[in-house]
Amino acid sequence: MAYAYLFKYIIIGDTGVGKSCLLLQFTDKRFQPVHDLTIGVEFGARMITIDGKQIKLQIWDTAGQESFRSITRSYYRGAAGALLVYDITRRDTFNHLTTWLEDARQHSNSNMVIMLIGNKSDLESRREVKKEEGEAFAREHGLIFMETSAKTASNVEEAFINTAKEIYEKIQEGVFDINNEANGIKIGPQHATTNSTLSGSQGGQQAGGGCC
Amino acid sequence: MSFYQTTDLHTNPIEVDPPSPRQSVRKNLDFEPLSTTALILEDRPANLPAKPAEEAQKHRQQYEEMVAQAKKRELKEAQKRRKQLEDRCKLEESIGNAAQTWNQEILPNWSAMCTSRRVRELWWQGVPPSVRGKVWSLAVGNELNITHELFNICLARAREKWKSMPTAPPTEPETEDASLSLADREASLELIKLDISRTFPHLCIFQQGGPYYDMLHSILGAYTCYRPDVGYVQGMSFIAAVLILNLDTPDAFIAFANLLNKPCQMAFFRVDHSLMLKYFAAFEVFFEENLPKLFVHFKENNLTPDIYLIDWIFTLYSKSLPLDLACRVWDVFCRDGDEFLFRVALGILRLYEDVLTRMDFIHNAQFLTRLPDHISPDQLFSHIHAVHMTSKNRKWGQQNDTDTSLFSDPVLHLTV
Repeated sequence: MAYAYLFKYIIIGDTGVGKSCLLLQFTDKRFQPVHDLTIGVEFGARMITIDGKQIKLQIWDTAGQESFRSITRSYYRGAAGALLVYDITRRDTFNHLTTWLEDARQHSNSNMVIMLIGNKSDLESRREVKKEEGEAFAREHGLIFMETSAKTASNVEEAFINTAKEIYEKIQEGVFDINNEANGIKIGPQHATTNSTLSGSQGGQQAGGGCC
Repeated sequence: MSFYQTTDLHTNPIEVDPPSPRQSVRKNLDFEPLSTTALILEDRPANLPAKPAEEAQKHRQQYEEMVAQAKKRELKEAQKRRKQLEDRCKLEESIGNAAQTWNQEILPNWSAMCTSRRVRELWWQGVPPSVRGKVWSLAVGNELNITHELFNICLARAREKWKSMPTAPPTEPETEDASLSLADREASLELIKLDISRTFPHLCIFQQGGPYYDMLHSILGAYTCYRPDVGYVQGMSFIAAVLILNLDTPDAFIAFANLLNKPCQMAFFRVDHSLMLKYFAAFEVFFEENLPKLFVHFKENNLTPDIYLIDWIFTLYSKSLPLDLACRVWDVFCRDGDEFLFRVALGILRLYEDVLTRMDFIHNAQFLTRLPDHISPDQLFSHIHAVHMTSKNRKWGQQNDTDTSLFSDPVLHLTV
């Protein structure tokens, strides 16, 4: 399908925080209570619309175990957005955010948009990390922040889409060089070359459909 | 014409009175197709005028045609079922025969026979499930000389650690010491619990309360005590699970530890990135040799082998292939060693070459990290068979030295 832009995302964070479940909820709109373990990397893709433009998200869902960090590091290359996920019911997954962030900053391009996600917000009774703590961490490190639930789908769409909006704004501001694929953004296959012909044919349609 | 759908002839009150004329129609059928028992020719109810004779005749004819067709269809299906049953019996018989050969001829004379051509051929066809565990154990060997006692000692040590583990993680800010122990725990015992529930979840036998939960827990826990330098690494739970399905716990542990001690597995489970890259590079040599078109297509799309190989190699295909097929891969892996793992990868790529050549990066990446649910074992094995693991004057080399860091040319060996 034709798209205006393609953004590469990477999902990172400790093992068991719900990275794959967030992806499944976003791409398939369903929740799997017991998800398969991710070894290495898995993939998802979905089309979204921002500012009337079709944007294809290509999402890399990585393994969370500490031992796999050296592998995960090579997947930051060319990512325009990162979802850094922790589990609000497991304090240690929040405590490890700093090392994840260091990794992400060191191995990605400096403009990569990072969204901090506190997942499992449906498990309020087992909460170990206050929402304010997540907000404070995000503020301190210049990240966007959201609490989500892959189970109830709460804020899942928003998390993925708001990240894309931020990237899109950066493109508009000229911060991202869209011709450099290392930034994790690709211009759609038809977009660049057929833009003029496309708008021409649209104009024709409008003229023809003037009666309504 | 009226076709009354009745599910049960005898309990339906309508059937009793008036006497049903369909009896006579049905008597003519020597073979009664199942699918027509709910399709019954009825005369019009008494309160309606009767059908004209001509129409009644026409309807009867139509009805008989329908019944005849249904009968034909069912005969065909019955034949198909009989054929399937015969095939299955044949297969079961051949498995039974093979099991007998393995049990009575091969296993008692293992060292003399295991390299013979006949055994190797039989091996390729898949080891019968009843002797699989024994064959794997013998083929993997016990270079590490692990005894059941050693397993029990390691297990006891793991149980001690589990007992001393706090049930809830500390909520106060950690001291350096505490964070160290936390990291240690994450690397091993705590994580094992989390992952066991995510190991073959659809089988529902390894999860808490399931029959194999304790065994899987024991093997992984004991291994972290046996090899604290390696610890628990994700992917191990799948290997241990497949072994448990074929061996009792202590023997599964012995096979597990020895299997992980093989150079390729050690390189991966220690996540020795540079050595892993050497394996991937070697794989690409044979990829290009065997499937040049697809190789170029992947290169053009930046689809690097780590994307699919990591999952395949870490879990020895047990997560990505259907379990029975994965076991057949394990059979020959036990026979041929790590070379076969990469040969299987090429076999998979070869099997799906046409589809893969037509797809872009993301579709290929998704396809390969989530293979189709149904893969024909015979087809896959014939594609694996067609893969040749030689390239010019090079072939896949076995590393016999346990200290892999000493290798300057670890994977590819020159043979002139």
